Amino acid sequence: MSIVPKEAIEVTSIVPKEAIEVIAQSIGITNLSPEVALALAPDVEYRVREIMQEAIKCMRHSRRTTLTAEDVDSALSLRNVDPVYGFASGDPLRFKRAAGHKDLYYIDDKDVEFKDVIEAPLPKAPLDTSVKVHWLAIEGVQPAIPENAPVEALAASSDGKKSEYKEDGLPVDVKLPVKHVLSKELQLYFDKITELTIKKSGSILFKQALVSLATDSGLHPLLPYFTYLIADEVARNLNNFSVLFALMRVAQSLLQNPHIHVEPYLHQLMPSIVTCLVAKRLGNRFSDNHWELRNFTANLVASICKRFGHVYHNLQPRVTRTLLHAFLDPTKSLPQHYGAVQGLAALGPNVVRLLILPNLEPYLLLLEPEMLLEKQKNEIKRLEAWRVYGALMHAAGLCVYDRLKMLPGMLTPPIRTVLKSNGRVMTKMPNKRKASTDNLMQQPPLKKLATDGAMGVMPMNSMQVDMQGATGGYPKAVGASSMSIPLTSRQLPNENMPGRDGGQVLKASTVLAQAWKEDIDAGRLLASLYELFGESMFAFIPKPELSFFL
Amino acid sequence: MDEEQVVKFVETYLKKKGFKQAELAFHDEVQHNSNANSVDIHSDPDLSLLLLSLSQSEDTPARYHEEYRKLRSWTHSSLDLYKPELLRVLYPVFVHCYMDLVAKGHIQEARTFFNSFREDHETVHSRDLQKLEGVLSPSHLEEMEFAHTLRQSKVNLKICQYSNELMMQYLRNTKSTMMLGIVNEHINFQVSPGQPSSISDDAEVVTLIGNSQDAANQINKKEIHWGLLEDSLEERLEKAGGLLSDSEKTEGDAKEGDLDETKVNILKRSVEGGKQGASVKKLKKDKAASATAKVVRPETNTSSIAPRVKSELPLPVIPTEVEQSILEDLRNRVQLSSAALPSVSFYTFINTHNGLNCSSISQDGSLVAGGFSDSSLKVWDMAKLGQQSGNSVLQGENDTAPSEHVLGPNGVKRSYTLFQGHLGPVYSATFSPLGDFILSSSADTTIRLWSTKLNANIVCYKGHNYPVWDVQFSPLGHYFASASHDRTARIWSMDRIHPLRIMAGHLSDVDCVQWHANCNYIATGSSDKTVRLWDVQSGECVRIFIGHRSMILSLAMSPDGRYMASADEDGTIMMWDLSSGRCVSPLMGHNSCVWTLAFSCEGSLLASGSADCTVKIWDVTTSTKVTRTEEIKTGSANRLRSLKTLPTKSTPVYSLRFSRRNLLFAAGVLSKCK
Repeated sequence: MSIVPKEAIEVTSIVPKEAIEVIAQSIGITNLSPEVALALAPDVEYRVREIMQEAIKCMRHSRRTTLTAEDVDSALSLRNVDPVYGFASGDPLRFKRAAGHKDLYYIDDKDVEFKDVIEAPLPKAPLDTSVKVHWLAIEGVQPAIPENAPVEALAASSDGKKSEYKEDGLPVDVKLPVKHVLSKELQLYFDKITELTIKKSGSILFKQALVSLATDSGLHPLLPYFTYLIADEVARNLNNFSVLFALMRVAQSLLQNPHIHVEPYLHQLMPSIVTCLVAKRLGNRFSDNHWELRNFTANLVASICKRFGHVYHNLQPRVTRTLLHAFLDPTKSLPQHYGAVQGLAALGPNVVRLLILPNLEPYLLLLEPEMLLEKQKNEIKRLEAWRVYGALMHAAGLCVYDRLKMLPGMLTPPIRTVLKSNGRVMTKMPNKRKASTDNLMQQPPLKKLATDGAMGVMPMNSMQVDMQGATGGYPKAVGASSMSIPLTSRQLPNENMPGRDGGQVLKASTVLAQAWKEDIDAGRLLASLYELFGESMFAFIPKPELSFFL
Repeated sequence: MDEEQVVKFVETYLKKKGFKQAELAFHDEVQHNSNANSVDIHSDPDLSLLLLSLSQSEDTPARYHEEYRKLRSWTHSSLDLYKPELLRVLYPVFVHCYMDLVAKGHIQEARTFFNSFREDHETVHSRDLQKLEGVLSPSHLEEMEFAHTLRQSKVNLKICQYSNELMMQYLRNTKSTMMLGIVNEHINFQVSPGQPSSISDDAEVVTLIGNSQDAANQINKKEIHWGLLEDSLEERLEKAGGLLSDSEKTEGDAKEGDLDETKVNILKRSVEGGKQGASVKKLKKDKAASATAKVVRPETNTSSIAPRVKSELPLPVIPTEVEQSILEDLRNRVQLSSAALPSVSFYTFINTHNGLNCSSISQDGSLVAGGFSDSSLKVWDMAKLGQQSGNSVLQGENDTAPSEHVLGPNGVKRSYTLFQGHLGPVYSATFSPLGDFILSSSADTTIRLWSTKLNANIVCYKGHNYPVWDVQFSPLGHYFASASHDRTARIWSMDRIHPLRIMAGHLSDVDCVQWHANCNYIATGSSDKTVRLWDVQSGECVRIFIGHRSMILSLAMSPDGRYMASADEDGTIMMWDLSSGRCVSPLMGHNSCVWTLAFSCEGSLLASGSADCTVKIWDVTTSTKVTRTEEIKTGSANRLRSLKTLPTKSTPVYSLRFSRRNLLFAAGVLSKCK
């Protein structure tokens, strides 16, 4: 072992010889021989370790888990060594990694102009230390107050804990304090939130306020005030887009908060929310992006229905009925239709299948003239029409996607041929409608017969039974509202569409009108939707199924 | 091997080691009586082999490496049954190999050796390894206490006969003389016949303390009177318990007791103790039960029936009215158990700017003290705090009136009383049992006594030479114990400025100290990973508790005097039986430093507060009942014992205290880092 490998030398000491030389130079020793440096290095390392060991003791006795410069100073003074000046800091030091080195760090010390320091205003005096008291637990149960950690943190921290509760039979219930008088803190909190919502909804602070609303545990006493605030401000600020959006965000945050029981106040909240979905005007019609608000609210409504639907059985039926009325009323403006479509679409593909698809064909006929440049000169209106068209397409597409996912085996060969014949690409949107109708004409008569027959054979009462089975979990009221659709849809074409080719309309609508039935062929559904929307429908079809079609 | 050869060997050995004097002496010796043959070396092949190896001077570092590597691979491929035992031998061998290499000046080789095998021992011995890693020259070995004691002492290892034979045979056959030397020199095998011992019994194996296990065992055989003080207030309450309705009687009783206490007369006490004997036995059934269960060792005080002991210290007098209020508290005590968990009141320190080092809560929870790194001690009166927030306007008007609150330098009202006097960070504070005094210990090596009535410093106790890490009042006041970086713990009384006793023996800093319920013992926890129990009267160490793997941070004594809990840096809490000196059970659950421990007043629950921002409540009754064997059988016994985890809102818990009525007070600092 006469020759020591190079690695071994490096391993010998964490402090390299060069560091010793540099340090020696810095204190004025220029003629330090390499042997001395080599001999000093291990000792330096040992001393540093010794100091760190003492520093860690000081850290522990200061009840800390991060080492500070103070601890090192205390350790040095234990050894009667002068402390290292210039690193005192109340907070842990911030280290930066030196570029090009893996584990070399330095403290980023900025140069400060002396003048700036002198001229700078005196900083605020730090707040004085104080003590606050709260109940961490009452007879072993943690009350849900803001001073305590959120309950989900407790539940999420470990699975073992849950079993603990089971073993000991201790319920994890949370006692909610009954407070009739709002504490000063809560009042301030409410005032602050109100102010942020109304005036500064764009600020970062508002975002943090939303997080606080969604997570803080002690907000329950404020809930009635917040519901009132939302109802009141929505009614007052229908023209103020940003306030409306902010209010909806507040509503969403409140709904997210696991410590708040929103149910008793839901009936007060819902009208305001639905207003933001299907109101005629939300903010400035031209400059504000009210579409986004409608989308946001649509999702909010859907989440409410999903969460509280099982508690309040008439919640979803009432919402859907309201939305459907908005959708099917031709006197309502296009943004309202848009909101309704989005709202229904957010409630899930089943709702779309039940309520939108049967009305799709007649509605599109209504919508078409609005979308065409020649017929609708008002650009805004035309844009709105396109928006509605897009929303419908999206809803229908998701619905088809869902069907295809559920029933992949329902595709029938004849449709394949039909679609193949449809394979010609139509790019220009205004022409597309015509093209699809042309294609429809080319459909083999055999298939027409089959669909017609299927429809004709189906007696009315059996349909109803089917529908009940199909909706399953849906309450009766949905059925009632959906029952009215075929009627309206049949009325619509008669009243409004006298000019169109009657036979064709009937053809497309027969497939769609039956869309609410559970056993409808997904492929057939797709075909008719394809007729209405063209190729963009394919975006919603899963890959394997798509290849099956093409 | 004949005489001449031996002489030659010895000569070369002495020359190699540089023992010039010895060499000369040896020469003389040989020449003087060359015919005498006192040592029959040749009869022992081992020894000759060793001598042979010593004469071969070349290539020692490489041989250490090689032989250890071989031993290691042999051990790992040994029979499964004996493997755990043999593996245990590796660690001491490893450590001594390293130190031998360092001692012989082969620093580089030592470092390569260390790094190539350290992983094997990293899981269990990481802290020791970190220490040893820094040893880089022979002088460091002398300087570092840990290394020094390791080299001085022998490690005791329990090993079964067969394992021992296997090992020895292997070492001889492979001529691993280096390893053989180390094993002979530093390991003391306690060979036991029969099957190898189970792995679970590893508490002793884990720690390579400098202090040999033997000494610890010897010490732990001493007698301990862990029973409670006779004639304590609790006892008196129980005595009065039968006649509780008659308040007159209680008072009379209490007065009589008080009278006795004024004359600190042991004789009279013992008489009274005898008088009370019968009632004690009748009323304190659980105590009596524990007394019978207690006779684990025949030599522990078998003579006394009830575990009551006399105080060896003259005890302070408790004023009658205070005694009345304590008795009232005891009567209103909530009985806690695994089914009835305590209420926890939490004191959160805010705006401390990372300056709070310690906190303390008075017995009744009305006062909270904080010791700061800026040398100040601040005391908050909770009663006034509530008042202030309630009618803040009113107080603003009363500015001119003599206010209880101390005015700050700029006239700003402070919510606390500021005690200034220390010259270094305050590391510990403790309230006297009656809440009229506070003691604080500081890095300036002093302990100061403050009066909460006068708001002033009364005494400064000087004696320690290094920072005083901890100070604790005795359960009955007047006496207090301190622990310091100077590796001693000291006992003081309030009226003397010099310590009454100095407890020396720990191998590193004494980090925490705690009084036994009967005031006759104190326990100290140290950075040497042991807890010791000391007799206050004699100043002797009566127990050493070995088992922790890192620095001890907090201690607590059960109110019945039987058990002690200790917690360390890693978050492990250990429950010890004082009489046997054995660990009843380790309580795992915390994942960071446990700063504080507290037993509930009837001893059924243990609360622990940690840097991981939780307060955990443990069931003591189940954990102490379950014996080791049962524990092994059930396996999952650990989890049963943690009753509840109470997370705080990013607030590490600094101190805990059960009031006499069993309300749990906790204190901590709101930390920003989360």
